[in-house]
Amino acid sequence: MDFYIQVLISGLLLGGIYALISIGLNLIFGVVRILNFAHGELVMLAMYGTFWLYKLYDLDPYLSLVVVLPAMFLFGVVLQRFILQPVLTTSGVMKMFTTVGISILMQNLALILWKGDFRAVQTFYSMSTIKFSGLIISIPRLVAFGAALLSIILLYLFLKYTYVGKALRAIVEDHATARLMGITVERHYLLAFGLGALFSALGGTLMMPFSSVYPTIGGPFTALAFVIVVLGGLGSMGGTFLAGLFIGVIEAFAGTFVSPGLKEAIYFVIFLLVLMVRPQGLFGMGRGTEEIGLK
Amino acid sequence: MKKYTLWIAGGLGALLLLLVPLYFKSTFVLHIYTLTFFYIGLTAAWNIMAYGGNLSLGHASFFAIGAYVGALLYVKLGISPWIGLTGAVAASFVGGMILSMPLIRLRGPFFTLATIAFTEVLRLIAIDWRDLTHGSAGLNIPFDLGWLNLTFKSGAPFYYIALALAVGSVWLSRWVRYSALGYHLRAAASDDQAAEALGVDFNLVQITALLISATLTAVLGLFYAFYSYVLEPATLFSFELFSLQPALNAIIGGMGTVWGPVIGAVFMTPLGEFLRFYLGTIQQGLNYVVYGIILIMTVRFFPGGILSLLTPLGVRFKRWIGDTGDNQ
Amino acid sequence: MKKLAMLAAACICLMQISVTGVFAEEKTIQIGALYPISGNLALMGEESWRGAEIARILRNRQGGVAGKQIVFRQGDASTNSAARSETERMIEQDKVKAILGTYASSRCMVASEVAARKDIFYFELGAIANAITQRGYKTVWRTCPTSLDFCRGQVNFIINWLAPTLGKKANEIKVGIAHEDGEYGTSVANSFATLAKKTGLQIVSVEAYSNTSNDLSSVIFRLRKAAPDIVVAVSSSQDAILLSRQANELGLNIPIMGTGGGHSFQSFADGLGPQANGVLNVDFTQYHVNTKYTPGLEEFVKLYQETFKHFPRAGSSLANFMGANVIFNILEKTGGSFDPEKIRKVAMAMDIQPGHTATGWGVKFDKEGQNVRAECLVTQWRDGKLVTVWPKKFAVMEPILVK
Repeated sequence: MDFYIQVLISGLLLGGIYALISIGLNLIFGVVRILNFAHGELVMLAMYGTFWLYKLYDLDPYLSLVVVLPAMFLFGVVLQRFILQPVLTTSGVMKMFTTVGISILMQNLALILWKGDFRAVQTFYSMSTIKFSGLIISIPRLVAFGAALLSIILLYLFLKYTYVGKALRAIVEDHATARLMGITVERHYLLAFGLGALFSALGGTLMMPFSSVYPTIGGPFTALAFVIVVLGGLGSMGGTFLAGLFIGVIEAFAGTFVSPGLKEAIYFVIFLLVLMVRPQGLFGMGRGTEEIGLK
Repeated sequence: MKKYTLWIAGGLGALLLLLVPLYFKSTFVLHIYTLTFFYIGLTAAWNIMAYGGNLSLGHASFFAIGAYVGALLYVKLGISPWIGLTGAVAASFVGGMILSMPLIRLRGPFFTLATIAFTEVLRLIAIDWRDLTHGSAGLNIPFDLGWLNLTFKSGAPFYYIALALAVGSVWLSRWVRYSALGYHLRAAASDDQAAEALGVDFNLVQITALLISATLTAVLGLFYAFYSYVLEPATLFSFELFSLQPALNAIIGGMGTVWGPVIGAVFMTPLGEFLRFYLGTIQQGLNYVVYGIILIMTVRFFPGGILSLLTPLGVRFKRWIGDTGDNQ
Repeated sequence: MKKLAMLAAACICLMQISVTGVFAEEKTIQIGALYPISGNLALMGEESWRGAEIARILRNRQGGVAGKQIVFRQGDASTNSAARSETERMIEQDKVKAILGTYASSRCMVASEVAARKDIFYFELGAIANAITQRGYKTVWRTCPTSLDFCRGQVNFIINWLAPTLGKKANEIKVGIAHEDGEYGTSVANSFATLAKKTGLQIVSVEAYSNTSNDLSSVIFRLRKAAPDIVVAVSSSQDAILLSRQANELGLNIPIMGTGGGHSFQSFADGLGPQANGVLNVDFTQYHVNTKYTPGLEEFVKLYQETFKHFPRAGSSLANFMGANVIFNILEKTGGSFDPEKIRKVAMAMDIQPGHTATGWGVKFDKEGQNVRAECLVTQWRDGKLVTVWPKKFAVMEPILVK
């Protein structure tokens, strides 16, 4: 029994990280309506940022958040303003391919600047754990889990109770009407993209104590975040969190009891099944999603 | 009389292409041509779905299905790839049917995501099922010369095969576009409900397009497998090479048109090779940086693709040769 | 109109492709150097290329081969398809008569196939798949060990050192394998299974995982259940760190033995810190080795540091350095001629005993073109350094058992 609980804990911790990475994508996907293929590259960039701050200035990964988060917010805003905004009026396909271009560009700029080496930071808490009654919980992973939960609560409160948050939600539901209601849609897009990049950066930085970074690390994150956002439902932050946990647990159990090589395949199959049976996502709101491709 | 001028121009072009292997002894040049033809075929096949407004980023799955079925039948059972073609078509048909389930319910980005997931699942199975596919270690096509085995010493036979495949794919995609199916597809792409109100079975139309596109891609995959000697999941299921690239070609050439994919593939394939060996060896990764910039720029400045730039030229050309045909 | 002009310019650039062909100059010796230097194999691919490049620089300083300077025509085998294009290009446009490379086995399989069908020499200096030299091609040669040699090194060490240390007989030793499911991990794991069967080692668990996975806890759980005496890990890059970290986190107290790849990289120790201490590894010859047995190694490291401004990142550059030197020596003896008969004769006559090259490997080619005197050494991470511990003649330290 202990063994199953241990696997469950590992899965939940993993799911917390997954949720953290996916929040940003949900914001961008939901508000700006762009299928952002460069999402994993945002995570990658933040990870490199954390690594270099650690390497060059001896800055602890958790402290480096102070620098990395604002920097990545700004990066997201710049990306949206100068690269994505000009193509905003074209079709969804064109927007998507712009992000593919950004992804290719970022990946290879990283290769040119920092070479293909995998880099990891080494902190005193990297492998520290809490142990009780035979169960093991990794502390940095627990921190990431806590950060995911906290981010989602904060984001929920922000969306629910502030004016800007309400405007963002209005855009998620129907951006044409939102515009008619006097919401400056483009400016909110900037904010959404910035916030999206910020949350990706949070995920990337909090992963650094137990993970390594290299130029092509982003790809799997992008795919994973899409799976989670769609499962959780567009615009639903709580849904993203639960879907993240769900995928993490599935991955842990499938990996342990079926085969580590097939664990990704299993969650992709579940993703396909959910898409077919309940395309608005397991926890999605189901409103306003028609225009971006749900029947 | 005026129509003839176009036909003569086309015929001359075709004749020139047929003569290329006689003129260029370098198999490198032939290889670039062959690769370009494969991509013309792939892009045209991909584009059939795009008529209906559906964007797949999972065509690598059909490509790999065709490649693996053909190669496995040949390597394990000794069945000639020409007969194996039927197996490849059948398998990709089944694959297409599976993917048509999400197609019925999903559109736009969500369908695109489904195609990606579908490919990932197949890729991981191909890696894991080692008794069948040899996993990542790869499957080799033995070097037994002969037309029946699709194995040749010179580059010319495959040049002609790939040329024929490219012409066939473009012809098929053109036929689809101007058939009733094509009109229904385009109607469906522009406005679902209106098309449905006219009595078009929307799902049937989209599924038919998917199946044609999938089987055509599988046929190309089979020939590509025999052209490339080694089969391994990392290459055949490659997102960049066979899912993304056809889509890129089509977008850069002009998506949803007949000739856009051809122009896109003719432009992009040599460009990719060119960038790799002139820039990639100067500084690792530089070629992809340029590639990424070209992509972003094209979408921004020529969203209609290269074809939209050429169309005014084409009109002028037609006026010049006195053709005022109404097929524009 | 402006757009059209831009487009036209792009097209003109493209047309160069069919026209440019740089013809080999008479005064130099042109060799193709094919490595994956972009894409996901870029890291090791580039490191491998550096080894060959250092060999070239060094040889040119000493007067080149047969009085001519050596020039590399470079190719980027970023994908299998690229490997094919680049080989065609190097042969047809650059007119090279021999190609060296490749680090990755699948790239080599494709590239050497192309080269062999045109009777162009292909020298493999770093890829280890057994099949490369088993296809009956007379122009494909390999200077480095095969994946079977890797596993031979591992199995010998397990039987001759680990078993006595644990106080067990060889057939009582239980081995767990964790390997990445790419071509590298799969082929090594296959070879290990084959060899283990012959030698009576028990394999209690084989776990394949994707090297892009960011969580390997399931692999650790499965290994913990199987409870082997040693875990043989085949990791391609950062998965080596992840595996060790999670093994440590989740209390898998079993020694880990890497198989080159990620376990040989300095980044492994840099990232893991003290936890790397005691991790065993089997690979090509590394840098902390008995240098009496590896003449030329120090010179290589010195020139490497001058050229690339830091210590070599992994042993694959050294292996490529050694291999490139072997090729240069062959060409020296043929007087710079690429005549197939001459090269074959010279190569087959080569007979260098172990301990006389920079990697310590001897050189003796078998009929298939495989260097049968190439072997793999066991190393261990000690205080951030990968030191050689086995076999004895190469060793600079005694191995220790760290769980």
